[in-house]
Amino acid sequence: MVNPNDPPRGSMYLYDDITPPTVDGSYQMTVSTNINYGTAQSAPITRYFDVVGPRFTLDPTTVANVFPPRNGQGTYQDALPQIVLTRRTLPWERRIDSDSNPLPKPHDNSNPPNGDVPWVALLLFEEGEYTLLQNQTLESVVPPQVFTALGSPKNILCDAIETDFQLLQSILPTREELQLLCHVRQVNVEDRELNAGSSDGFFSVVMSNRLPAPESKCRACLVSLEHRTDLVRADPPPFEYQSDALHSSVLTFPIDLGGFTTVTVVFPKPRLVLLHSWAFTVTGPGTFRTLMQHLDVAMVGAIRDGKPNLTDTGHMQLPVLDRAGETEAAWYRGPLVPWQLTRDPLGPYHSADQCRRATPDTGAEDVSYAAAFEVGRQLAAADARLGQELMRWRRESYRQAARTDTIAKVQKAIAVDLPAAIEEKLQAPIGAAVSVSAAQSLAGSAIPIADRFGINAAAKTVGMDPATLSRTWALTSVAQANAVLGQDASTLGASVVLPAQTVQPNTTLEQVAADTAVLTHLTGARDRLVQTAIVKIQNVTRGVIR
Amino acid sequence: MRAPWITGATALRQRMINPTQLLSPAAEAEMPPYMESFLAHLRLLVGVPFDYLIADSRLLPDESIRFFYLDRSWCDRLVDGAISVGKMGTREQAHHQAHAPGVQQQLDVSEHIVRVLQRGLQDFPSAKLAADANPQPADLVTGFLLRSAAVSGWPHMDVRAFSGDVPAGIEPSKINPALVLPLLRLERLSPSVLIALFSGVPKLVWCEEPHHGVQFGVEEDSRGRLIIPVRDASGHLVLNADVTKTQIPLPLRTGGRRVIAVSQLRRDIIKKDQALSAQGIPHLPAQTGAAGFAISVLNPPWRQRFQGSGGPGDTGKFTGTISIAAAAERPALTLAVKELLK
Repeated sequence: MVNPNDPPRGSMYLYDDITPPTVDGSYQMTVSTNINYGTAQSAPITRYFDVVGPRFTLDPTTVANVFPPRNGQGTYQDALPQIVLTRRTLPWERRIDSDSNPLPKPHDNSNPPNGDVPWVALLLFEEGEYTLLQNQTLESVVPPQVFTALGSPKNILCDAIETDFQLLQSILPTREELQLLCHVRQVNVEDRELNAGSSDGFFSVVMSNRLPAPESKCRACLVSLEHRTDLVRADPPPFEYQSDALHSSVLTFPIDLGGFTTVTVVFPKPRLVLLHSWAFTVTGPGTFRTLMQHLDVAMVGAIRDGKPNLTDTGHMQLPVLDRAGETEAAWYRGPLVPWQLTRDPLGPYHSADQCRRATPDTGAEDVSYAAAFEVGRQLAAADARLGQELMRWRRESYRQAARTDTIAKVQKAIAVDLPAAIEEKLQAPIGAAVSVSAAQSLAGSAIPIADRFGINAAAKTVGMDPATLSRTWALTSVAQANAVLGQDASTLGASVVLPAQTVQPNTTLEQVAADTAVLTHLTGARDRLVQTAIVKIQNVTRGVIR
Repeated sequence: MRAPWITGATALRQRMINPTQLLSPAAEAEMPPYMESFLAHLRLLVGVPFDYLIADSRLLPDESIRFFYLDRSWCDRLVDGAISVGKMGTREQAHHQAHAPGVQQQLDVSEHIVRVLQRGLQDFPSAKLAADANPQPADLVTGFLLRSAAVSGWPHMDVRAFSGDVPAGIEPSKINPALVLPLLRLERLSPSVLIALFSGVPKLVWCEEPHHGVQFGVEEDSRGRLIIPVRDASGHLVLNADVTKTQIPLPLRTGGRRVIAVSQLRRDIIKKDQALSAQGIPHLPAQTGAAGFAISVLNPPWRQRFQGSGGPGDTGKFTGTISIAAAAERPALTLAVKELLK
């Protein structure tokens, strides 16, 4: 479903608040119909309905996401805890106060923020500042006057959090702050990173106003403030700006105890209806940003306080036990260098000794590449499969080398039609190619079929030539020699020509069937063949073998 | 580290369908796939003991980053050493001598697929097929070693390198892809040491905090005081050389419980807005209510830029991926939402 009002991917829209048309509560509905017929009559019907929503407990599925993560550990000291709810209207579904018991307005009421006051708040407690209470009856959690205002039946069970009154006063947002800490977020439904689960892309977000302390265990609690006019203040407590480095400001009061008896004022421990809570631990070295900003940035080989001792080429002197068993100083430089190097063209090297270099200045050895060679060799030797594969690689190459040699030798002896490229030559079926080549040369040397008895060849012999004959035998003329040879000039000396092929026109079966003379002739030929066969078979049966 | 080459099931299957282990004339001079993969990993120093990379721990102290060029000769020697296994006589030497240029050329191509293999995105044959079809020329290899608590604390840091300058606040989708250098390797060598290798020489490298959605938070200035940075109406950071113009000190309730005086902060933002707009700096989010306030305390992931030869700059704040429009600026939208809810 693509809604034109959806934000583009990677973006989101924020809303001050989204209030439901009716807040939760009980409603009376009166429907009356006025009929004017003669006398005016009216027939009102009164019905009641409730708009219900989460009130004293919150279904965990309503929570889309929390930050810092539940039971997470990390550097969250600069993050404001937040809870993301899948219901966009949830923080505004109830009224925090009632007309009979309103929340006071702040004294400085210039430029108030938009929107209604939400009935929930996200409070952050450190370990030791709170007590979690489970399955408490509502009347044991809230003060009597609040319970009356809530108008809820007795013995409703809910979770609660108990804390110190002064602590709560110092962290509880004021009326205006409640408004600012709660907003609605609309994200693109397609945007998986910002979205959670299947939803329409709307979420309500409740933020905390307290930053977690470094190295502490914290619990973020979503609490209900419905009708808690006893706790929520209109005007914020005093504030201060940090004068210098981040430290908890410790205030010491000069207390003169002389002459007074100390009176301990016990504040009642307030309890709040707890809708949802999760714990996390703040630990770690600092934020990502602080760590990255304070990195020591340099090219490799940068030395601090003159240590370790490096040459300007980045080499370092290391003691090496040479093959004579003596310790000597050698230079070493790893594969990570602070500038661009040209690649050594003198490869490949076949042993580590081949890679050893001596530096002209000091005469000391440079074992960098020899060390690289040895590392490569040892890593490869440690891998059994690589050894097998290397052997296979070589074996295959040797086989192919042998094959190339064979082909070269065969080609020298017989003209074999093979591709020119060596790779294709190796792939070609050489046996078949040689057979073809051999068959072709055999066929090429066969006599023409027209001179079946080799008369042409025989006529070329010396004894058959009338001129040579007459000279040899001292005959009077060539004609005489001709007569001796058979007196027929046409049979000797003339080449035999192939009789011309009669071109047969294409014919159809119908035409063949219509030619009765030829068919009769063929029938006669068949009969003669059959007759001959019969005679031969009779001869065989009589024991005469021809 | 190398991903396992073959699983038991696949090995058995291959054995069943291909009983003769030696294939009839395959491409002859080519390396067997396992060998090629091994050597390509070796080219990028996979498996090389750390002491060989950094011979003295003082060369990579705690909380430091060291950029480098990769000495290709060193890596070629590694490969020579690996091939020397089982090299018994002149026949093997002659063979290696003849094939070395081809091996080097092939590894220049296949070193680009090592990261794909390490992440398990593709198996070797298909990755090689893709790489061979579109061979990347062997370029200079550069990279960095980072030893920091940030490596162990933020395990999925996003590292990118660019061959040109990219503006600080750019959205990742709008970066010219031609500027992005291919990442050859990004791996943790130990819990706190990260190695990255790029193909090409970067002009700019950035390390970005992993994204975990949209968060709210504050920052510390250079003196450790809590501040919030100034943002404009769409959530982008306002950058100015004068930090007093781009920072709003955080008012805290007295008592040292780190509770933000939210109403006072809002008043400070409004005051700052008036002061800044008098100087021609774009308007801050209109503080109509919760939405405007939320934009002001946004804390998107930090993006550290490393550029040129200087130290870390202070203008590296990530401002990209999430642009926000204040709801008040779109009355039609607000109306539509209200209609929807009726």
